[in-house]
Amino acid sequence: MAAIVTLTVGFTAGCGGARPVPTPGVLEIAEGPKTSAFTRNFNPLLEAGDMRWPARGSMYEPLLIWNPITGQYVPWLAQSFSFSDDHLRLVFTLRHGVQWSDGQPFGAADVAFTFELLRTHPALDVLGVGEYLRAARAVGDDTVAFDFTRPFVPGLEDISAYPIVPAHIWKDVADPLTFANPNPIGTGPFTEVTSFQPQAYRIERNPRYWGGPPAIQALHVRAYPANDQSIMAIVNGEVDWAGDFIPAVKRIHVGRDPVHHHYWFPALDATVAFYANTTVAPFGDARVRKALSMTIDRARLVMVAMHDYTHPSDGTGLSDAHERYRDPAAVAAGQAWVTHDPAGAERLFAEAGLLRGADGWRRTPDGARFAPTIVVPVGFSDWVVASQVIARGLRAAGVDVTMRTLDYNAWNDSVQKGEFDLSMGWTLYSNTPYTFYRGLMSRQSVKPVGQDASDNWHRLAIPEADRELTALEETVDPEKQMRLYHALEMVFAREAPAIPLFPGPLWGTFNDKRFTGFPSENNPYAPLSPNLFPQALLVLTRLLPR
Amino acid sequence: MRFLLRRLGFYAVAAWASITLSFFIPRFMPGDPATAMFARFRGRLNPEAIIALRTAFGFSGAPLWKQYLQYLGHVARGDLGISISYYPATVGSVIAQALVWTLLLSGVAVLLSFVAGTFLGMLGAWKRGGWLDSALPPVLTLLGAFPYFWLAMAALFIFGFGLGWSPLRQAYDDRLVPSLSWPFIASVIQHAVLPAATIVVATAGGWMLSMRSTMINVLSQDYVLFAHAKGLSSRRIMFQYAGRNALLPNVAGFGMALGFVLSGSLLTEIVFSYPGQGYLLFRAVKSLDYPLIQGLFLTTTLAVLAANWLVDIVHLWLDPRTGP
Repeated sequence: MAAIVTLTVGFTAGCGGARPVPTPGVLEIAEGPKTSAFTRNFNPLLEAGDMRWPARGSMYEPLLIWNPITGQYVPWLAQSFSFSDDHLRLVFTLRHGVQWSDGQPFGAADVAFTFELLRTHPALDVLGVGEYLRAARAVGDDTVAFDFTRPFVPGLEDISAYPIVPAHIWKDVADPLTFANPNPIGTGPFTEVTSFQPQAYRIERNPRYWGGPPAIQALHVRAYPANDQSIMAIVNGEVDWAGDFIPAVKRIHVGRDPVHHHYWFPALDATVAFYANTTVAPFGDARVRKALSMTIDRARLVMVAMHDYTHPSDGTGLSDAHERYRDPAAVAAGQAWVTHDPAGAERLFAEAGLLRGADGWRRTPDGARFAPTIVVPVGFSDWVVASQVIARGLRAAGVDVTMRTLDYNAWNDSVQKGEFDLSMGWTLYSNTPYTFYRGLMSRQSVKPVGQDASDNWHRLAIPEADRELTALEETVDPEKQMRLYHALEMVFAREAPAIPLFPGPLWGTFNDKRFTGFPSENNPYAPLSPNLFPQALLVLTRLLPR
Repeated sequence: MRFLLRRLGFYAVAAWASITLSFFIPRFMPGDPATAMFARFRGRLNPEAIIALRTAFGFSGAPLWKQYLQYLGHVARGDLGISISYYPATVGSVIAQALVWTLLLSGVAVLLSFVAGTFLGMLGAWKRGGWLDSALPPVLTLLGAFPYFWLAMAALFIFGFGLGWSPLRQAYDDRLVPSLSWPFIASVIQHAVLPAATIVVATAGGWMLSMRSTMINVLSQDYVLFAHAKGLSSRRIMFQYAGRNALLPNVAGFGMALGFVLSGSLLTEIVFSYPGQGYLLFRAVKSLDYPLIQGLFLTTTLAVLAANWLVDIVHLWLDPRTGP
């Protein structure tokens, strides 16, 4: 499909014709998931369904918004928070004077109600706060206390991110799991659904917004049945704000109107890694994993598979979103095995007993040819290309690797069950590196082969990492946290549990012909991507019509 | 009448078979919708939430036969369940929305293609060797032989992107509110012309060729010669004597084509981003939306069967020999 996109988009550069003209003061947004007909679903807790963008982008708000650019929480519905000394209680002080869009006051009871809803409906609790949350209760109008079953400081991240729904409306909802919430009442800046058609909808501003009435009149979202359709619209200037991947963005998008068309693709998303299943010999040996890594020409991989929109990972595996946690000592310690170094790979393979036979292919110590398989989901064109680059490097190093493209679900099944040799994969993203390292190295995340695992597909537990991770669950001291993260980075650099390739870019484009104030490389106050919740609120409340 | 009833009985059995198949086939596909959802969250989905979601979507892990019986009961009541990819909309409402567009686009296109192709075939055979007969079949066959996907892409590329004559997506301008007003109807027509034209161009050749060859065969029959000898007008011979008899194979084919209209011209709708059944099926399969896949299979098979029954009736009228 990517080729088709390039072709068609390249062609349009020369044509005009009658294109829809956006209404002044109405921000045109391209929703993330593509569809040809919208379902009127504004249930912000129903992430699993076909939720409309504004439900979490502009209608319902969380207690705090994490800003990955500054590495700080931005107070939102809550003004401050604190942990008790034993880390078993988290208390939020709420913003005073916030109203729901129907005029009712917002308060601690709403917050407590929302989390009670998650506790009684586990299907809504996609982040899993039920694992450690005993109860959420209102202490007065403006204070909410969360009691934990065990100390779990990283829980702050998930609790503060859930959208809060109004108790006075939702208490009458029979089944929140099938509730489409067609006429939403929220605290956010844009809440009034004034028009809803299968092909487009419009959300007017909330005059009662606690941050003051938004400067923009309304949001307008059109249905784009496929990515190439939305890219067309973005390039033609029909869309003000979008989070789509665009090939050759400088030529195709910026080139159309260098003054107004902009993009910003910072590498703030989760790291993409190459996994070697440690339950399959010889991948349990860290030397083999490092040798694999040294055969990979990452610079080339990033160029051909990612259009140079990102850069190679270092030996800590951290994404750019975690820049402030990066320890130069750990980076140095891991530098050798993330550098393209065929001679070094040769040495490590030899140390691990994987010697080349007379035909040039490596043998395992028991004499069998070392011939692992890389599985890759069909249709993930960037991963297919990346896997090809990796396979080429491995074959040059004498590893008789084959590539197998699988149907997406078959691939998903095999990696989750740990029934594969080698595969590309994503890593977990969170505000701090805690979840990232937990999913790659903790005993907690290891499942037996044959059982579905959402992370740790390679099935590796490192006891030392578990000690640091547990310590992180029990401290709010920033200095101590930093020491523990640095220690985890050292473990990662030493053990190479997964082979980091590159941090994923966050796609974001904007057209400032009619609106100003978008974040950009020069004004990086928040990530640009509208697909990132709840961070989109940071942008929506800053935009101004020209 | 007994003939038609017997056929009806046969169709009932066929309907049951297709309902059964549409239950089992999606379940033989690897993975299930909850795991597919897993992927969208890139692993950041709490395992307990997954279990709860599986239950909510009706993947209870109950024995297959139990699920099957449950499914039969629901189908009998016309309850097709809740779509997973359009959650929490019901399958019925999702299909109803797309059905209108498919009927409109593919229905009109197939009808146009059939009428034009058949008529041209008849005319070509009548004036064998004329310019129509020698020029059109090769051209239409050539166009029909292109991979349809490619043909549609090229049409969209030239007339949509290049010349700007045709909209690039959807069934109507999204600034309009659906109503029975002239601007809306005009917008619908404007959006349908190009996709419909590609279907007509790609399929008319088939109709024309099959009509032409049967017609040539019929024209050499004695009764046609006799009609000529009797001095009947050539128009009457062409339509009433030769045409009617040559039409039979095409009518059978038309029944099939009409039934498949409901499956939506899958590729047409994908290329032109037309919000019909075909696009819906494409999306449903991609997101492992079993209830929606089943619902679409069901409407399609029922439509095919209904169309065939209608063809049976028409056949009976055209060719009394097929009757009892």
